[in-house]
Amino acid sequence: MKVTLISIPVRDQEKALKFYTEKLGFIKKKDTPLEGGNRWLTLVSKEAQDGPELLLEPAPLHFEPSKIYQDALMEAGIPYTQFDVESVDMEYERLTTLGVAFNVKPTKMGIVKIAVFNDTCGNNIQLVEML
Amino acid sequence: MTFYEKELKRINATVYSNHEQIETVIGIRNHMDNNYGNELNLEYLSRVRFVSKYHMLRIFKRHYGLTPRQYLIDKRIEKSKERLKNGMSVTEACFAVGFESLGSFSTLFKTKTGKSPSNYQKEQFSRSILNSES
Repeated sequence: MKVTLISIPVRDQEKALKFYTEKLGFIKKKDTPLEGGNRWLTLVSKEAQDGPELLLEPAPLHFEPSKIYQDALMEAGIPYTQFDVESVDMEYERLTTLGVAFNVKPTKMGIVKIAVFNDTCGNNIQLVEML
Repeated sequence: MTFYEKELKRINATVYSNHEQIETVIGIRNHMDNNYGNELNLEYLSRVRFVSKYHMLRIFKRHYGLTPRQYLIDKRIEKSKERLKNGMSVTEACFAVGFESLGSFSTLFKTKTGKSPSNYQKEQFSRSILNSES
């Protein structure tokens, strides 16, 4: 068994695609139409294009518990998932300039530095740098 | 303040309150990152930070979740991938990242990546040709 995919629930796939590619810098890998305007939409990170794919799935629109769970995480400020970066401080600067809102500024937690931003699609996302 | 921020604060105050210990393990990790090509044993690494060998081993594992040796192997494999990608021969890459035997390097590489070093290199080459054509 291999890990090749992780999924993120999003409220609007097109908006998410824009945010994750234009602001975060991911690259679109697969985009297949499904029924009802839904898409199988995956991204890869620029520096690891053969790495795991990130699925932007429209679950909150079609399955109420998914929406409730997503809202509860957002309300509590808990990140849905996290991405590795070389420098949290640099990404914080870069994304802030692009208008991305952070609710946790770069913070040291033991051997890592973290920061948390709002992905505008219903999730908090954590950036992490190993020190 | 959100629930998560409160939790971060609480954990920082309880789990990560020993700053000296954290600086020690970060220092050892940085030393490995900068010197992975040299011979590095526990004895030597603990001397870098003036701590006892077994204390160092214990606190490193507690914070990074890996022993220094496991961490170093992962780092060396990652660095050998970069060198293979850039066209260095398998033998050269093996010694450049600090492994002392070609046999153990190849075995470890295969275990960690699922491919032998030479197959990994072939794949990288065919991929870069594809990229330059497209």
